[in-house]
Amino acid sequence: MAQFDRVTEKMLRGFASRTSRRNLFTVLGGFLAGAAALPLLPVARAEGPEANGSDPNSGAPAPRHSGNPQDPGDATKCDYWRYCAIDGSLCSCYGGTVTSCPPGTEMSPITWIGTCSNPADKRNYIISYNDCCGGVPWGRCACQNNQGDRPLVRPSNNNEITWCFGTKSQSYTCTVALILGVAIDQK
Amino acid sequence: MRTSILRATPMAFAAWLAASACAADFSTPLPPDRVQRVETLPAKYPTTWAWLNYAGDRIQLRNVGSDSREIKAELQARDSSTLLVADKRPEVYVADTVWSRGTRGTRTDFITIYDTHTLNPIGEIVLPGGKRALITAQEGMFTFTDDQRMAVVFDFTPASSVTIVDLVNRKVLGEVEIPGCSLVYPTGARGFSTLCSSGNLLSVQLDAKGAVAGRSETKAFNLLDTDPLFTASTTVAGVRYFPSLHGRIQPIDMRGDEAKVLPDWSLVTAADAEGQWRPSGWQIVAGDEQKLLYVLMQQGAHEGTHKDPANEVWIFNTVNKTRLKRLRLVRAGSSISLTHGTEPLLLVQAGDRLDVYDAHEGALIRSMDLPGLHTRLQIEPLR
Repeated sequence: MAQFDRVTEKMLRGFASRTSRRNLFTVLGGFLAGAAALPLLPVARAEGPEANGSDPNSGAPAPRHSGNPQDPGDATKCDYWRYCAIDGSLCSCYGGTVTSCPPGTEMSPITWIGTCSNPADKRNYIISYNDCCGGVPWGRCACQNNQGDRPLVRPSNNNEITWCFGTKSQSYTCTVALILGVAIDQK
Repeated sequence: MRTSILRATPMAFAAWLAASACAADFSTPLPPDRVQRVETLPAKYPTTWAWLNYAGDRIQLRNVGSDSREIKAELQARDSSTLLVADKRPEVYVADTVWSRGTRGTRTDFITIYDTHTLNPIGEIVLPGGKRALITAQEGMFTFTDDQRMAVVFDFTPASSVTIVDLVNRKVLGEVEIPGCSLVYPTGARGFSTLCSSGNLLSVQLDAKGAVAGRSETKAFNLLDTDPLFTASTTVAGVRYFPSLHGRIQPIDMRGDEAKVLPDWSLVTAADAEGQWRPSGWQIVAGDEQKLLYVLMQQGAHEGTHKDPANEVWIFNTVNKTRLKRLRLVRAGSSISLTHGTEPLLLVQAGDRLDVYDAHEGALIRSMDLPGLHTRLQIEPLR
C-alpha cells in the first residue's frame, strides 16, 4: 500500500508541475462545453420527450394538455392545478377527461367542492369534484391532494367520501374536476 | 467436441456421486401430505398480532410482534369495509358493501360474522336501504355499544343516519336519523355520540330494543371554521381524545350517557407553533394503559398538509398535560397504533411498510411490507 501511495504522489506532483490552474480550468471548461452540447446529439433528442412523458415508446399515455394557455398543466398528473383538493383516481387515465367520465360510467350530480388557484390567471376557482361511478374499480392515477379538505363533520368539504349519489351504482371509479366559477371574493 | 466430452465426464460422475450420497443420507422418502388441511387460529389472538385494514379493500391479520412478520389470515373486503373485533364473544364482524354484478347491479350492505378460531363466516346481517356510508375506512363508521351486544353503523346517503344492529340475535333493530352529524363513537352504557356540523356533539341513548331513549347535545366546541378537530381519536383512561388541525387536543368523556366536553389543551408550545408543528396523517393518535397519548406530528405544516405523512411521534402525559418525549421516525408515518400489554409496540404505517418500534425506547425493532396498499391503513390492535 505504501508503494502505491508513493507512486500516486509522484504522478500527481508531476501532473501539478506540468500544468497551471488556468490550464486545469481550460480542460474542465472543455468538458462542460461538451456536456452542454450533448443534448444536441441525436440520442439526446430521442430521449428528450421522455422527460415530459410524450415518448411514444414509454408505454404510458401521453400527457393531456388543454391547449389553452389560461388552463395550463397535464390532466393526467396529480399536480394539475384543478386537482388541488382531489383524493381519488383521475378520469383522464380511465378513458374520460378532466371534465367527463369514462364510457360506461355515470357522473354523480352530488359532489364535493374545493377552491384552487389557477397559476396562469392567478384567480381562485371553485372546483366541483364529481365522482364517476359503476365502472372498473379505481386504482390507477391515484392522487391525494387536500387543499381545503376538512374533516368529515362538514361532508361537502371532505374528499374521503365516495360521492356516488343519485347514480345507479355507488361503486367508485374516478373523479373529474369541473370549474363552477370564480370564487366570489376574487371576481 | 473432444474437449466437451472431457469436461462432461467428471460432471456426470459428480452428479452420480451426489445422488448416491443423498440416497445414503435419507433412507426413506418424504411421506405423502395429508389433503384438505386448513389452518386455524387460536381462540384468543395474542396481543402481538394486529388487524390491518387496507382502506376497506382488504383486511389482514398480521404478526407484528415477531421477526417472522407473517400474515396469519385475511378477510374478504369489497368497499369501505370496517371491522369490529369482539372480546366478549369469539367473533369478528365486518361491515361491507357489494353489488350483484361486480361494480353494478343490486347493492347489498351487510355485516359478516366470522368465528375467530376458524375465520369461517358463521352468520350475516343484511343492512336495509343501501345507506351504509362508503368512505375510506376509518374510525367512527362501525362501533360497538351495549357491552358489545349491539353495533351502530354510520349511514350517509348524503343524509346522515345510523343503523342499530343486535349482534347477539343477528338482526337489525332500527334506524336513527342524525341530520347534519357524522360518524359514531360509543357512549354510556347503551348509546353513541356523533360530531355535528354546528360544532357540537349529539349523544343518543338507546333502549334494549335499539330505539331512542334520550338525546342530549353539548354546546358548540368544535372550531369548524378556524381549527376543526380531526375525526380520528383515541381513548386514554376512559376519556376520548381528538386532536385539532392546528395542534390542540380535545378530551371528551363519553363514559356517561351524556358526553362531557372537557377543557382542551395545546400539544404545541409557542416555539413549536412558530415551526408550524401540527398533527398530520390519517390514524394520527394512539393511547396506552399508562395514560400516555401518542400523536403524529409534522413540521412546516400549512393548508392542505394535514393528511401528509409525519416525521415524529410526540408522547404526552394526559394527567399533567406535558410532553414527555419526541420520537423521530425512521420513515415518515401516516397511521399509528399501539399494541396492548406491558411492553407496547408502536406500529407506524409509512408508505407501503409497517414499521414496528419499541414504544418506550423509540427504537425501530422490525419493518414489514404491506403488499397492495395503495392508500390509507387503519390499524386495529388486539386486546
